[in-house]
Amino acid sequence: MKRRIAIFAAALGIYAAILTAVWEIGTRQAREKTEWQLDYGVIDFHDTVAGAIDTMLGHVARIAVRHIDHVQPMTMKRMSEGAKALDIDEVNIVNRNGEIIASNDPLCLGTVMAGDPVMDAFMALTNGTVATVSQPFRTSARNPGFRAKYLGAAFPGGDGFVQVGLDERRLAKMLPAVLGYIFDEWLFGKTGFYLCADVKTGRLISNPSRHRNEAATLEETGYDRSEASQYEIVLNGKEYGETFTQTLFGEKCYCRAFLYGEHVFVAALPEREYYDSRNEFAVVFGASLFVVIFGFAFFADRLFGYSQRLKRFYAAEEARLAKDFSIAKTIQSAALPAGECDSPYFMISAAMAPAREVGGDFYDHFPVDDTHEAFLVADVSGKGITAALYMMNAKTLIKEILQKCRDPAEAFTRANAELCANNKANMFLTAWVGVLDMETGVMTYVNAGHNPPLLVRAGADKPEFMREKSGCMLSFMDGVKYKSYSLQLASGDIVFLYTDGVTEAQDVQERFFGEDRLAAAVAEAPRTARAMCDAVRARVAEFADGAPPADDLTVLALEFKAAAEYSVCSFAPEQASIAKASAFVEEKLAEGECPQRVKTAIGIILDEILSNIVRHSKASGFEVDVEFTVSPRGVKVVFIDDGEPYDPLSHKDPDTTLSAADRPIGGLGILMVKKMADEVSYRRTRNRNFLTVFKNFGAPDGAAAQGDGK
Amino acid sequence: MQIEKKIEDGILTLKISGRLDTNTSPQLEAEIPQTDLSGIVFDLSGTEYMSSAGLRVLLGAQKRMIACGGSMRILSPNATVREVFDITGCSSIFTIE
Repeated sequence: MKRRIAIFAAALGIYAAILTAVWEIGTRQAREKTEWQLDYGVIDFHDTVAGAIDTMLGHVARIAVRHIDHVQPMTMKRMSEGAKALDIDEVNIVNRNGEIIASNDPLCLGTVMAGDPVMDAFMALTNGTVATVSQPFRTSARNPGFRAKYLGAAFPGGDGFVQVGLDERRLAKMLPAVLGYIFDEWLFGKTGFYLCADVKTGRLISNPSRHRNEAATLEETGYDRSEASQYEIVLNGKEYGETFTQTLFGEKCYCRAFLYGEHVFVAALPEREYYDSRNEFAVVFGASLFVVIFGFAFFADRLFGYSQRLKRFYAAEEARLAKDFSIAKTIQSAALPAGECDSPYFMISAAMAPAREVGGDFYDHFPVDDTHEAFLVADVSGKGITAALYMMNAKTLIKEILQKCRDPAEAFTRANAELCANNKANMFLTAWVGVLDMETGVMTYVNAGHNPPLLVRAGADKPEFMREKSGCMLSFMDGVKYKSYSLQLASGDIVFLYTDGVTEAQDVQERFFGEDRLAAAVAEAPRTARAMCDAVRARVAEFADGAPPADDLTVLALEFKAAAEYSVCSFAPEQASIAKASAFVEEKLAEGECPQRVKTAIGIILDEILSNIVRHSKASGFEVDVEFTVSPRGVKVVFIDDGEPYDPLSHKDPDTTLSAADRPIGGLGILMVKKMADEVSYRRTRNRNFLTVFKNFGAPDGAAAQGDGK
Repeated sequence: MQIEKKIEDGILTLKISGRLDTNTSPQLEAEIPQTDLSGIVFDLSGTEYMSSAGLRVLLGAQKRMIACGGSMRILSPNATVREVFDITGCSSIFTIE
């Protein structure tokens, strides 16, 4: 709502500003046009009136000149008759010297014009170059009660001239005749009109024809002389008066007025002449502008509304996606094995940090069989859901195949074929897999286009990159055969795997973390799998310094522990060794908080197996390992001998239903082992027999061991 | 392992304490005379456990007794030993009291 008010307030402001400006410009233009039109009107009016009077007087004077013929004295009687004939108030004959030698007015006789401040102008007629001289109305030089307009016309040759004078008071009578009401019809501009009235009586002489019946006097037109008289001036050819306003015939008019004789002349231009067009323009323009600006405001408002709804929509979508991704992340995390795996033979520590909620990186570690552990890291092309889904598939496939065929090179060759056959999304992955023989410490590994891992030898200062020739990326090209390499690990050696999320991590200046920094971080890290992973991740985070990760980041460290660290004891193949081995195992079991029931069972089992080895195996010696397991809680005892291959589990169990007489004395030992242990397994490797027995601690000591000691 | 041995009315009683396993079973075997006996009693109340080697001695004694018409009884085996008898089917052969 606030936004809407703001938008419309702004629109209103702009609208008002533009409209005001347009109005101002329109007003100025209207005023200028009005002034200009009034100038024109008043000049036209004045010149027409004055011109008509001059023309008339000129005719009269020239008629007189023709009748009188030459400068000669004439009687007053004749002059009076002449004046009457000419319908003029004064007529004089003036000689070359400017002296009036004949006049109808006795007062004028003998007046000399030459040198007179007012009359000297007429002397121009005596030099033969000027035909007529006209003067405006003025007070007579000899008779102050008489105001008249004078005009002189020269006799041929400049011998002298005739001067005629028109009494101002007679102008009123003459004007209608002279003007012939022409001004009644005259307009200036489209609507400008003229008024002419007697100053004293206010009676109108000229009145626009369309208003003739409305007013007989100036006052009746609405003209207020008390106010307007200050603007009424006598025109002198330089100034045209000042504009003033009057309400004439009920309409506001701009006026100029001038006095001529005893008459006032008004040129009036109704306001509508020009101001109407301004108003019309303002209305039309204002309406259009209103539509444009408020239309724009309306759409802007709608647009803002839409954009906010979009924002809300996207926020909700984002939240929903984030939730989906977080679920996906949970699923993906659950698909990865534990970040830590501690076994008597090795320790694995791993971590995967996706750049997005879900990533294309993964690590895995799983037993291939009893003595081999596989561990790998891989990086699927791309990130996000697609990569994550592909990764899940690839991870399952690799594990499945590797557990079947055990050989990493063969496993990659087969996995590649499988992935290529089903690669609609054209994705691929780089992977590095190692298979550790826990007993020998030999690691067999294959690289499918992945970053070279670091090998950190127990005693060495610096790690080295394992840069053997790499195979092609998986799922990239069908029919690729992979080659494996192998390496002997010694106790304390660490193999450090990572993805390019480590080496290609960028800092704020977009520099890469790189292999050198990685090697340095690994070299400085404490020599345990977990500490190394933690240290590298910490270094990368430090380096990135808040820059968002561009790629998933995965690390995995495998630390090999030598078998010597375990409870292994070597014995000679003789009867006495059984007691020694038994004592050794008992000691170990005591350390492991082993229930009595289990101790007893292990004691019997040990006796059975070792007596078999001593008696039958032809071994040169044997070993016994004791390992405690956590889940399920129990103990694993491994019997190792280098005697003849012998799998006690392959034997048929003796028939325990036979009577004492028919029962063979032997063969019961293995049966007892099988019955008393929870799991027994046999394998033959490296020319040795491995018999592994597992006994579950089960329920706490007590319930199962009730009969002990009776 | 310790063995207490006594003979009463032609019946040999052997009280076995400790473990009866590969190591110790030859001792027990040595205590059983080759001569005819009317009966033999193994008191296992003190026997911690028994391996198949011990079982073999007992099974041998049982066969001897059957051959010479004597009787054999086993007294008070603990749960572990009884389990061994059960596992191996000897519970049905031996007279266990």
